[in-house]
Amino acid sequence: MSDDIARLSEELARDPASLAFLELAETLRKRGDLEVAEKVAVRGLERHPHLGTGHDVLARIYADTGVFEKAFDEWGMVLRLSPGHPGALKGLGFVCFHQGRMAEAETWLSQAAEVDPADQRNLGALAYVRQQLADSEPAASTVAAAASPSGPPAAAHDARSLFHDILGAEQGMALLLDEHGLVLAGGHEVDGRDVGQEVGAQLGGVSDEAERAMRHLGLGGWTSIVFETSQATVAMSPGPERSLMLVSAGKATPVGFVRRMLERSLQRATTFLAGSA
Amino acid sequence: MKNSPFADLLGALVRQRGVTAAMVVSEADGLIVDAQVSIGMRGEVVAALSASLYRRARLAAQAAGYGETTVLQLEAEQGRICAVGKNDLVLVAVTELGSNIGLVRMEMLKGLQGGALG
Repeated sequence: MSDDIARLSEELARDPASLAFLELAETLRKRGDLEVAEKVAVRGLERHPHLGTGHDVLARIYADTGVFEKAFDEWGMVLRLSPGHPGALKGLGFVCFHQGRMAEAETWLSQAAEVDPADQRNLGALAYVRQQLADSEPAASTVAAAASPSGPPAAAHDARSLFHDILGAEQGMALLLDEHGLVLAGGHEVDGRDVGQEVGAQLGGVSDEAERAMRHLGLGGWTSIVFETSQATVAMSPGPERSLMLVSAGKATPVGFVRRMLERSLQRATTFLAGSA
Repeated sequence: MKNSPFADLLGALVRQRGVTAAMVVSEADGLIVDAQVSIGMRGEVVAALSASLYRRARLAAQAAGYGETTVLQLEAEQGRICAVGKNDLVLVAVTELGSNIGLVRMEMLKGLQGGALG
């Protein structure tokens, strides 16, 4: 990755009007150098203000930085330049979700699903958002489902119950999170309320953060994180497509068994994300 | 020069086989409060990651209704990071894969229960 950055930086130095800024900014973003990535993207857009891909990259950088208002504006710009851009539609849905604007999130993610119906991660996120809407407004949801030609969101139920048989009698939690902490599958109820997204919000970006730190420390890739609480043992591991798999069980459950549950859940998640579940 | 209140605890940890770093970090900002670190180990990276992971785990556990977080352990291909926390402080140990993590963990919990972190 360092070689790529050096090569792209040289290319940009040779030709400041080069589109190499796109790849350079994205590479820097993935590496976590968000401040530099932002500078590169902004400078590039000064020369190419009507380049939708450039605004998309800048929006991702803002989203990773947590500046959701700016991310929203940039993705809005992408849609003006490239109507139907799936990345922008998903991005806008993501921002709305993080801001608690579930109905708007559902609208954006639905549009993304129409443009790219094979994107399983988007479908998982959409299913989760729909489930949240259904949980918070059961009456309105019933009306909407009845009015919808596609019927109720069956996929939401499938995603939520994806790990039920693995958890079995453990009464624990199983969540598959994307790199931003959005729930792709699974759930966890406390007092009848699904708190999966609240758990996910705290853990969004953990995988990237651990990966970067391990690289700096020369410890190789991270394979698992286990934390124990007064009531439970929670185990996490990196999943496919930068996702994070998390399972938990009561304090009485041996840690080795929790790890076994994690491995089985990860296999299930891999199949789910591949779209063959 | 006066020893820090954590010197004995950190000393006991780094004397364990395979422990390459031991430190107390602030959970809020990931800054090192005190550390005993092997040459070449990037203590500030360990501190920042450990504090962030521990804070995230603690908040996630609260959201899940699981009570207080006690121990966190990260496993990587070539080592482990173990952390216990209390009162906005996190006690961290970095170990090689071949270390006896059970002993390290016991030493850390002993320090925690003994009031080393307040």
